[in-house]
Amino acid sequence: MLNGVAAGSGYALMGIAMVIIYKTSEVVNFAQGEMALASVFFTYLILQNYGIPFVYAMPLAALFAVFVGCVLEFAVLRRARRQTTLGMIIVTIGLEMILMGLVSWKFGADHKVMPFPITEFDSIWLGGFYVTTLEAVTFSVVWAVMLGLFVFYRYTRLGLIMKATQQNRSAAKLMGVRTNRVLMFTWGLSSLVGCIAGLLLAPRSMEPFMMWDPMLKGFAGAVVGGMTSIPGAVFGAYFIGVVENLFGRYASMEFKSAVAFALIVIVLCVKPSGIFSRHYVKKV
Amino acid sequence: MRTHILLASFALFFLIACMGFPAFAEEGVTDTEIHIGQWGPQTGPAAAWGSVARGTGVLFEMINEKGGIHGRKIIYHTFNDAYNPAQTLAGVKQLQESVGIFAWVGGVGTAPGMAVKDYLMERKVPWISPASGSMHWIDPPQKYLFATYPLYKMEAKALCRYSVEILGKNRIAIAYQNDDYGANGLKGAKEELAKHGLTLVAQVPVDTGEGDLRPHAAKLKQSDADTVLLWVAPKHAIALLGAAKAMKYDPQWMSTSTCSDYPYLYDISKGLWEGVITTFFGDGPDSFGPLMREYKAAYDKFAAPGERWGTFFTAGFGFAEPLVEALHRCGRDLSRERLVEELEKLQYFRGVMGRISFAPFDPDDPMCRQGQTEVFIAKCVEDGDMVQLTDWLKID
Repeated sequence: MLNGVAAGSGYALMGIAMVIIYKTSEVVNFAQGEMALASVFFTYLILQNYGIPFVYAMPLAALFAVFVGCVLEFAVLRRARRQTTLGMIIVTIGLEMILMGLVSWKFGADHKVMPFPITEFDSIWLGGFYVTTLEAVTFSVVWAVMLGLFVFYRYTRLGLIMKATQQNRSAAKLMGVRTNRVLMFTWGLSSLVGCIAGLLLAPRSMEPFMMWDPMLKGFAGAVVGGMTSIPGAVFGAYFIGVVENLFGRYASMEFKSAVAFALIVIVLCVKPSGIFSRHYVKKV
Repeated sequence: MRTHILLASFALFFLIACMGFPAFAEEGVTDTEIHIGQWGPQTGPAAAWGSVARGTGVLFEMINEKGGIHGRKIIYHTFNDAYNPAQTLAGVKQLQESVGIFAWVGGVGTAPGMAVKDYLMERKVPWISPASGSMHWIDPPQKYLFATYPLYKMEAKALCRYSVEILGKNRIAIAYQNDDYGANGLKGAKEELAKHGLTLVAQVPVDTGEGDLRPHAAKLKQSDADTVLLWVAPKHAIALLGAAKAMKYDPQWMSTSTCSDYPYLYDISKGLWEGVITTFFGDGPDSFGPLMREYKAAYDKFAAPGERWGTFFTAGFGFAEPLVEALHRCGRDLSRERLVEELEKLQYFRGVMGRISFAPFDPDDPMCRQGQTEVFIAKCVEDGDMVQLTDWLKID
């Protein structure tokens, strides 16, 4: 159970990142994992090659992540906005491949060791189970990010503007909201959350393929929880993590990974909008 | 009139004969070139093994610099299949049908290789040293397919035998990749343990795309195994060691030759690889044999900047050695049938891998196409150095 929660924490951050974009633009961003990958390898570059201390590298990584998100929205997604939803999804898949190719080209396919101050090998004994310090930190970060986003969307002007843009872009535009900038910032924010997820996953395994599984599981969690709900994405990710771990332990390890996707099918059949989503009714 | 036609026919025949056609009509061979192909994962989950194809490329560069083989340069065609069988088949077909490859060498992975095996065999294109130890290459044997990589099954037997007879262990478990590679290891372990009256205390499958290995480690710990065989990709092996370490579980880890790049694995596991025992099918990159030194010099000269001198890279040299030797033995008279004949004559050929012998094709004898049947066992020690534990072992 605790293993499942630990695994779910990594998925949860990716799920949150995907929900942030989907809430505002209704685009399922399959490049989310590779946006995080680019930020993680940028962090590795400045830590390893330029010897920048960790405390300075983290803010730089955050800035880079926001920059990547904003640039992709401005340079690619905004140009393709007249596309259908399917077209936009294909664009994000294309971006995913380009970003992974760039990282592979620049850094090679070999595994790297991220000089991270927290090791994944140290653990604490908690309720009959070992929990690594990295898992404990990841768990805390998930809740901090969720709380931070709750406060941001609820109490800040920019957060409210983002919510308004999501609910009715035309009306927001008429009220003077610069919706293009809001969308760009949304991508930047989402990229930042993805970067945090990537940095917390990197100590375990760091190579160009590292974000594929967390992205898929995060997406599965977000679908289960409802693609427009941040707490839903977190709940969904924990649910996926716990179910696949219990399934692996007591049923079949061979089909452990497939459980997440079986859950998507079940949820989409029973409650297509996800467990936590709310419907906005539009007047015709 | 009839005389004119006859004269014209003679003239045409004479012209055609003098047009400078190459002496050999064999596909992929000209007077000055031999076209050799290989695929390899340069991206994706198995990308760490992509250096095999790059190592072969450096060997061919070294040969070409010395004038090639009997006056012919090797033109090397390689592509990235990302360990995706569909991409392997598409790439092989494209090169075979557009360029015309004389023979294929290496090629990482059982599943990618299986995707092209029938295609190459139907066209009678020789394929030497598939870079995996699967039974599929030799059972049933194929006239044009020459396997050199020791069978995974055999490696598992060697490790189990060492574990039981030398280390005195009796609770052995296995974490195996959920595909043919893992299945071969599982089969070998079961067969060898049965000879000692033992069974595996746990069999834990690992999916190739799996990212979270904690439940797998928990299951191994629960089994209380004193030895765990790792028949998985390097990244999964590291993840399992890390998860087990966090759970304070410390069995004797053993793994296949696919995880024998000690400096690399020691580095990415932050030292956890120390103490792991693996099989080796060839000399280590830091061995001091004259051939390995020659290869190292070629690496220094031809390898791309940033390329790492490691086990997988040198395996790329080793896999191509039997092909190069047979090409030398063919002389100028090069055809696929001649190449097969020369490969069949190889007896105890030794390059940087173990000894390689083939036999004339016998559809009832799979071993006529299994060149190498010996491995040695070594242990990773501090700083990723290797300590050889046994001499070459021949396991049936």
